[in-house]
Amino acid sequence: MGLAVECNALVKDFGDVRALDGLSFQVKNGEIYGLIGPNGAGKTTALRIVSTLLLPTSGSVKVFGQDVVDDASEIRRVISYLPEEAGAYKNLSGYEYLEFMAKFTTEDKEVIKESVDVAARISGLEERLKDKVKTYSKGMKRRLLVARALMTKPKLAVLDEPTSGLDVLHSVHVRGLIKQYVENQGVTVLLSSHNMLEVEHLCDRVALIDKGKIVAEGSPAELKKSVNASNLEEVFAKVVGFV
Amino acid sequence: MFKGLFNIIVKEVKELVRDPKILLGMIIVPLIMFPLMGFAIQTSMETAEESMRSISIAVMDLDEGPVAENLTNFLIALNVIIVEVDYLNFTEAVNYVQQLNVTGLVVIPSGFSNNITEGLKAELDVYTVFRGGGIVESTSSSMISALFETFEEGLVVQKVGEKFPETRETVLNPIEMSEKSIIKGKPVNVNPSVLFGLMVLQSTGMPVGIMMLLIFAMQLAATSVASEKEEKTLETLLTLPINRFTILAGKLTGSIVVAVIGAAAYIVGFNYYMSSFMGMMPTEIGVDLATIGLAPTPISYLLLGVSLFVSLLSALALAISISIFAEDVRGAQALVGPLSMLLVFPMIIMMFTDVYALPFPLMIVLLAIPFTHPMLASKVAFTGDYLTAVIGIAYVSIFTIVVLYIAARLFGTEKILTAKLKFRKLRFRKLKK
Ligand SMILES: Nc1ncnc2c1ncn2[C@@H]1O[C@H](COP(=O)(O)OP(=O)(O)OP(=O)(O)O)[C@@H](O)[C@H]1O
Ligand SMILES: [Mg+2]
Repeated sequence: MGLAVECNALVKDFGDVRALDGLSFQVKNGEIYGLIGPNGAGKTTALRIVSTLLLPTSGSVKVFGQDVVDDASEIRRVISYLPEEAGAYKNLSGYEYLEFMAKFTTEDKEVIKESVDVAARISGLEERLKDKVKTYSKGMKRRLLVARALMTKPKLAVLDEPTSGLDVLHSVHVRGLIKQYVENQGVTVLLSSHNMLEVEHLCDRVALIDKGKIVAEGSPAELKKSVNASNLEEVFAKVVGFV
Repeated sequence: MFKGLFNIIVKEVKELVRDPKILLGMIIVPLIMFPLMGFAIQTSMETAEESMRSISIAVMDLDEGPVAENLTNFLIALNVIIVEVDYLNFTEAVNYVQQLNVTGLVVIPSGFSNNITEGLKAELDVYTVFRGGGIVESTSSSMISALFETFEEGLVVQKVGEKFPETRETVLNPIEMSEKSIIKGKPVNVNPSVLFGLMVLQSTGMPVGIMMLLIFAMQLAATSVASEKEEKTLETLLTLPINRFTILAGKLTGSIVVAVIGAAAYIVGFNYYMSSFMGMMPTEIGVDLATIGLAPTPISYLLLGVSLFVSLLSALALAISISIFAEDVRGAQALVGPLSMLLVFPMIIMMFTDVYALPFPLMIVLLAIPFTHPMLASKVAFTGDYLTAVIGIAYVSIFTIVVLYIAARLFGTEKILTAKLKFRKLRFRKLKK
């Protein structure tokens, strides 16, 4: 099994602020890997670097063996990134938005149509896709964006808090879809989350990040065992040290 | 790659055209404001004309001689409404005039007729009644003086005719002057004031039009960049498998498409606006511009078109580079606003004078501004100076490429995501000191 993401001694400075401080982790092909950690831990920064939006200050990140600095355009062809706080073009309809996005990955009309259909199913928006995005609620917009991130069957989906803003039912729906996608389509997922329950059910492996460094890594079961905790929330509290 | 570009252009145009604010700007201003302005001006002009036709003058005839009577009859013959107030004293007459809504008051002193027949200077006091002081009153005031001047001219003609019954014409008008012009080194039989009128039309109409198009396009480009940040769509866009230069080019082209649609609406509206004045201008100037070489040739049209296009690109590139630093649409428009000073400055100067007549440093400053050049190019039809237009186009092209390069570099780095924060920090540091 090859590596989807290989992050090595990654450092990122924003002026005087060190957001990532020697972060290293590896995501295997076909797994769901979660980054969890308190606010400001550096999750979003790490995902943005993997997605070629930000440049590392030092260290290296490889996606399917290609370097985020030197081969950014190759990486962009195989990933899709769902930002933590994202919007869609408000004067386009949901369909128009999905079609616009699908056209970047292929020119084949059939494939575009297929992608949009997939997205319609994932989002569960149905008839509302004909309406302008500006008429959507926050959760509807999030579902549209999650759908667009998955519809093109990227080799790696980078999802920054995919279920933030979704109600319980839709969170469960989206989680189920992500899991199903990884199993059926061979998609690799790198995600971040605050929701321990979500991470525990969804992720094959997780990394606990604090102040830009990994403080614990492993499968949810391994982590619980190592610190003798009954759930990930407890692991988190013990490792970060506020019990 | 072209597929991606087209995809982006289509999306930009859809987004811009469906934006209610932009739609308002494109429809309300040109298609409603201009006609309304035209209507307002036309109506007030008509009112002014109306009141000129119904001029009324109070006459206080203290002379009661034959010339004074002639004067009154002359006014009546010209449809002036005469109100006789000679039975009052002056203060009473003034009160009376004030109450009666009369346009003017003439006081003919006693001895008026006598002085004129004796060949002495006669005095005449002509008052215009001020009420609101609007355009209507100023025209009726000049109407009144014109009336009395005409009467005086008639007296002159009559007196000259008495002295020189044979040669009256030549005594009154001893010189027959005919005014002509030299254009592009060739003498032509056209009154220069007619040509100046045309040039003024050209040198005000063109810059105003160019300026409106450019400002509109710049606002569009700024909006299209900044709304990606405001609507949080930029991050997604930047991770798509598409060249960032293509994104930039798509935004430029989309803004141009919409700006051209807007410009067309402006032209329609502005034409309507101008046509409201046409009734007041001499319609036929009686000059065939083509025969005297003043009609724009195909080459000058081409040069003007190219010049306009490259400066449009430079304006958009400038607007895009600047709005990268803004965090929302309003911020971007505030940043781009001062750029329009760059447009107004050359326009004002070019409307009143020739660039090359300016002091050297000012001339350099003006020529360094790209937007000066399409205005210079718009004068090519009059000067035949194609070289200036070509040099201008070359300069603006280079300027545009440099700015586009900088914009693309900013777009290509992470600065587009972090620039705003740095901007803030700088300000913060300054405050701390
Ligand atoms: N563009 C930026 N400029 C300056 N500092 C930044 C920037 N982006 C992030 N930071 C800083 O980097 C650190 C990590 O931020 P990041 O957004 O990666 O955290 P996070 O783990 O995603 O937090 P959250 O759970 O709140 O989303 C924070 O201290 C933040 O202030
Ligand atoms: Mg985050």
